Amino acid sequence: MKGRWNWFWKGGSVLLLTYVVVRGFCTPLQPGLVSATPSQLSVAPQVVDLVAVGQPFATSEDLPASFDVVLRSGDQLIRTDVVAITPHSVRIQIDVPPTMPSRALDAYLFTPASGTLFLGNACFVEDAAKGDVPPEFSASAPDPQEPDLGFSFPYQPNIMESIRNLLWHVPMWFAMFFIMGLGFVASLAQLRTDSISWDMRAEAAVKTGLVFGLLGLATGSLWARWTWGAWWVSDPQLNGALVTVLLYSGYLVLRSAMGDDDRVGRLAAVYNVFAFVMLVILLMVLPRYTESLHPGKDGNPGFNSYDLDNSLRAVFYPAVIGWGALCYWMYTLRLRMNRCAHHLLSR
Amino acid sequence: MNALLLLNSLEGFFFGSGKAHVVTGVALIILAGIAVSLWRMDRRLSQLEKESRSDKS
Repeated sequence: MKGRWNWFWKGGSVLLLTYVVVRGFCTPLQPGLVSATPSQLSVAPQVVDLVAVGQPFATSEDLPASFDVVLRSGDQLIRTDVVAITPHSVRIQIDVPPTMPSRALDAYLFTPASGTLFLGNACFVEDAAKGDVPPEFSASAPDPQEPDLGFSFPYQPNIMESIRNLLWHVPMWFAMFFIMGLGFVASLAQLRTDSISWDMRAEAAVKTGLVFGLLGLATGSLWARWTWGAWWVSDPQLNGALVTVLLYSGYLVLRSAMGDDDRVGRLAAVYNVFAFVMLVILLMVLPRYTESLHPGKDGNPGFNSYDLDNSLRAVFYPAVIGWGALCYWMYTLRLRMNRCAHHLLSR
Repeated sequence: MNALLLLNSLEGFFFGSGKAHVVTGVALIILAGIAVSLWRMDRRLSQLEKESRSDKS
């Protein structure tokens, strides 16, 4: 019975992670506008290219006439003509009006299949005077169309394709939290019973959890570099995560410093209980009281506050369970290894 | 955005195709991290095997 159960959860974690990797990489990203060239306009007729990423918003059979682009200045709309389309860009002809409420223009692209794509502050008109858009330049908003995007991940400005990192980076922290929680329980049991068996469990849990914590830090740092522009930003969530990992490293330092001292188990258990309490405070409590670039402060971190739509949920939850199970598997391997080592050394 | 693409090749690589390469980088970091952790356990186990063999003899 036990053997079958082992097969079930180990095989299950591998299957889940396979599903997550395939789905995570193969699911298309919804299209989103990223730039307008040129972005500096002057009062004259001119041609502007709007470029998008993600799945194509047009097919080669689509006609420019079925697409519509309007630019918004303040609360008024400016008419444009769509000249040409490709799967990832649209070329528009625009007669820039001499007067407009705001010199910064937002762009709206209305597509038949992908709904409305938006680019804030797409263009800036240097020499326009303040005033209303003259009627011959103005447009009325086209009727919004129901997008038909299929199974796809949501487009977020700036994050773009890297939204898929949600399936890699975030489960690292969930797995770490899970396995450190296990270590916490083991340390409490160790303090009650003073048995080497619980001590070995706690040690294996902390070592495995640290692997996932370090991976969480490294992946977060790479992601931050290309969304926030720096490898590390001084942010309560990030600094809290770093302090947590350092605290747990302290656990290992403490163990190796004590050497073969008989009291190592009890002391390490006390330290581990303290470290887990700090983990909860630093990762779950404190970031919610401060401003942060990092999402995941409102409600239940990771479950409510990412712009999780149902397509992301369908991959994210399996990712959390799969990585959690893999983490537990790594923990059991380490624990068995430590038990063998213990037997061998105490002979 | 377009100006950033020209800054340097690494910058351009990670900004390319809507930052899809950042995801590849993150996935590789995780695989490498787990591989290192397995490798270290492997080394410890080899050491234990050696000790158990020398105990028997």
